[in-house]
Amino acid sequence: MTRTIKHSFFYSHSAEIVWEYLTNSELMAQWLMPNDFMPEVGHEFRFTIKPIPEFEFDGIIYCNVMEIVPFKKLVYSWKGGPGDGSINLDSVVTWTLVTKENGTELLLEHSGLMKNISIYEAMNKGWKENIAKIDELINKSTHGATKA
Amino acid sequence: MAQPRLDAFQVIADPSRRQILQMLTKDSYTINSLAENFDMSRPAVSKHIKILYTAGFISIEDIGRERHCILKQDGFNELQNWIDYFDSFWKNKLKKLETLLNNKMNKK
Repeated sequence: MTRTIKHSFFYSHSAEIVWEYLTNSELMAQWLMPNDFMPEVGHEFRFTIKPIPEFEFDGIIYCNVMEIVPFKKLVYSWKGGPGDGSINLDSVVTWTLVTKENGTELLLEHSGLMKNISIYEAMNKGWKENIAKIDELINKSTHGATKA
Repeated sequence: MAQPRLDAFQVIADPSRRQILQMLTKDSYTINSLAENFDMSRPAVSKHIKILYTAGFISIEDIGRERHCILKQDGFNELQNWIDYFDSFWKNKLKKLETLLNNKMNKK
C-alpha cells in the first residue's frame, strides 16, 4: 500500500485558465515555486524552494514530465535529496482537472512519498502487541534469574 | 566503526533493513536470531541493525543474556513529518493559486 497525499480544490475558472497556471513556467512561479518547466513529455526541470536540513533536503526538486493531456492531466516525477547526488525522496505528482458547471475541480495526488508504507502501517498495528511481548520477555527473564 | 547518519528514507530504502523491520513488527528477535534469517554474514546484519538503531527505528535491549531488537517510534515519526510537511505545503499552494486566479479575474 502506498501512502498518497490527495487534495482537491475548486476554482471558479475554466479548465483552460487553471491549466495555464499549471503549465506556464512564469505563472507557476507566481503560486508554486521558481522553475524551468516546459510542457513537453520527457522535459527535465527543477523547482527550487528553501532547503530543509532536518529532512536532509537541499531545496531542489528534480522533475521529469511524464504525461500531458492538455486541460485534463499533468504528471511529473518529484525527486529530492540532500545535495550529494543521492535521492531520498522519489515521488510522483499528478494533476487532474475536471470541468464543472461553474468552474474547475483540480485534483492533486502526490504519491510514492512512502513507498515503504507497509512497514509503517504494520508497525503501527503491531506496536502494542510488541510492547506486550517485550514485557513478557522481560518478566520471563527476571523470573528465570530469580529461579536460578 | 562510525556509520554515516542516514535519513529515514535512506534507511528504509534498503530491502534487508525493510525486511528486518517487517520481521520486528511480527515478533521480537535477538540480533543472532535475526542474522539467521539472512543470507549475509553476521557482521553485515549487525551493520544494518546499527543503522536502524542510529536512525531511531529500533532500540536494543539486553534481556537476560540476549540482545533484543525492538521497534522504536522515532524513525517512523520522521517519515510521517515529511508527509505532513508536503501535505500542508500543497494546501497552501492551492490556496495561493485561488487568490491569484481571483485577483486576476477581478482586474479584468
